[in-house]
Amino acid sequence: MTLSELKTQLASLAEPGALISETDHAKRGTDLDVTVSAGKVVAAAELLDTARYTLEAITGVDWIAEKQIELVYDYTLWESGVRVAVRSRISRENPAIPTISAIFPGANWHERETRDFFGVDFTGHPDMSPLLLPEDATFHPLRKDFGA
Amino acid sequence: MSIEAQTIHRETFVLNLGPQHPATHGVLRIKLTMNGEYVEDADPVIGYGHRMQEKMGENRTYAKFLPNTARMDYVAALFNTHGYVCAVERLAGITVPDRAEYIRVITAELNRIASHLLWVGAFLIDLGGFTPLLYTFDDREQILDLLESITGARLTFCYYRFGGVCNDIDEQFISGTRAFIARLHSRMPMYHALITQNIIFRKRCEGIGPIPAETCRKYGGSGPVLRGSGVSYDVRKNEPYSIYPRLDFNIPVYQECDCTARYKVRMDEMVESMRIIEQSLDQLPAGPVMAEKVPKLLKPPKGDCYFNVESARGVFGVRLVSDGTDKAYRLKLRSPCFSNLSLFRDCSRGMLMADALALLGSLDLVIPDIDR
Amino acid sequence: MDEQTHVPPGLIHFAALDQMLDLARANSLWPLTFGLACCAIEMMATGAARFDMARFGCEVFRPSPRQSDLMIVCGTINKKMAPAVATLYDQMPEPKWVLAMGNCAISGGPFVFPGQYAVVEGVDKLFPVDVYVPGCPPRPEALIEGILELEKKLTGKRRWPVAPAQ
Repeated sequence: MTLSELKTQLASLAEPGALISETDHAKRGTDLDVTVSAGKVVAAAELLDTARYTLEAITGVDWIAEKQIELVYDYTLWESGVRVAVRSRISRENPAIPTISAIFPGANWHERETRDFFGVDFTGHPDMSPLLLPEDATFHPLRKDFGA
Repeated sequence: MSIEAQTIHRETFVLNLGPQHPATHGVLRIKLTMNGEYVEDADPVIGYGHRMQEKMGENRTYAKFLPNTARMDYVAALFNTHGYVCAVERLAGITVPDRAEYIRVITAELNRIASHLLWVGAFLIDLGGFTPLLYTFDDREQILDLLESITGARLTFCYYRFGGVCNDIDEQFISGTRAFIARLHSRMPMYHALITQNIIFRKRCEGIGPIPAETCRKYGGSGPVLRGSGVSYDVRKNEPYSIYPRLDFNIPVYQECDCTARYKVRMDEMVESMRIIEQSLDQLPAGPVMAEKVPKLLKPPKGDCYFNVESARGVFGVRLVSDGTDKAYRLKLRSPCFSNLSLFRDCSRGMLMADALALLGSLDLVIPDIDR
Repeated sequence: MDEQTHVPPGLIHFAALDQMLDLARANSLWPLTFGLACCAIEMMATGAARFDMARFGCEVFRPSPRQSDLMIVCGTINKKMAPAVATLYDQMPEPKWVLAMGNCAISGGPFVFPGQYAVVEGVDKLFPVDVYVPGCPPRPEALIEGILELEKKLTGKRRWPVAPAQ
């Protein structure tokens, strides 16, 4: 699948007006930047899995002023070094998003880590126990209002 | 004999490996469910070395975070610094002078050789052979001497700065590096005779610990783990950065997917790194080693970017989100060992315990890199 | 009986034997392989060929705490790891000594900041430490100096004189 074919297929999933084609890999580090709603991350992951991408990282960002948590999924295609970032914003009060660990088993640990740091609930995840924090931790340290 | 004595009961038992264990390379704990000597399930428990580097990235200014980068994957510290510094430079639009790029590549590749030498020694200790550690550490000490003469540190280097490097290299370093490369070339036959052709090593590693390429793709495996499974992906070739496009080097790839393949990838990578260093020393231009007009208190514009480098262990990525102030809004550090360890559970099912440990050793893990 | 009665430590007092035992213990310290973080690599380098801790008797690294008498704590102690470290210390038989190697083991090191929730600020918050070796990471020579200080603590005499400042 070429990049433009991928872009067309992702465009059907993306929120209107939010698809950016960043050809400047040198400036942003990604070739394609897509924003989808929380319900569409699984479809985007399936699409990228069919296109033979690998999941590199899941990043959470706490936009406290906008009362949202943003999740950025970074995907890479080995053959060409093309990188796609899939973003999704969820509410900060009850952050929940479907898990993609059924498609990419590597997401299992990335999502556990994001839950540790931000408190995001990945619905459908087989094991949401703490990964990096102690087993009995109840705090989420990367939230901006975390004050020890 | 009674009925109970005639019926053989089989049950599994849970064995705890770590967090203090000589073969876990740091503080890794694995909950093993064993069926006799066979591993039924190996669940890694991490977090024993968690120091919250990502939170510190938000609490410290960009420059003050530089020492932290060296303390994550401390065996190959310069790669972490390289990734972080390049991510900030990408966002802030700083161009690094050529001489500094070449110096970065030379020191990073020396660090790669040092890291692989340490891995060879540690891997052989995991398998039970103590001797190679002494030889590899001897070679590694030569590299540390060279790097210490310009950076001042032996292990946790804080050498790169935004816009270049903080010290220039001198003639003593250049001639010392060339002499070291000649010496290591002459030592490689000894390593191959001692380790690669050793019958015990071959029986412990050939065919052991297969990791299919598709598993690597699903889990995000990278680095020698991936190249030992037949996939030719190296950030230096597929997504080139710095001055790597100007250099001529190969990416060693082996198809067997076993521990021996991963070992051979790393041994060949050392030879390729020596080629890279020699070419860089030949092409080294004159000039400044720091960009001009880099503010002391760096405030990159709002936005985010991603940068990945090929660390000795795999793809090390940095996702940096800036809000225009002097501290990062979010600094995500994508660790190669994190993804490489996540595939251990899947790949170690049904193995003998000793083989599972050989697989674990061949993944080349540094636990504080996973725990950050 | 309200005055202080001096009770001798043993019924029979072998001063020379005690000194010999102390010398034997000091020259054959068996460290526990307990690398937590970066300092562990410098400990390995100290055990390797160039710096060679074996000259001072410290070469036998035992993985089991039951067989070791020196715990070289190298690296950061985490709140998750602290119970494990305390258990290891309790499992070591007497006489035992602790050497805190590196800034993290002494006081939490470069990872202390307001709001740090994960790091125990120094191993002496968990159990007593005999020798502190500062550095981040300390050079292998510094670790050897720490071992020599520990030997001095045991025997009362230094093996090598301290080099004069130049």
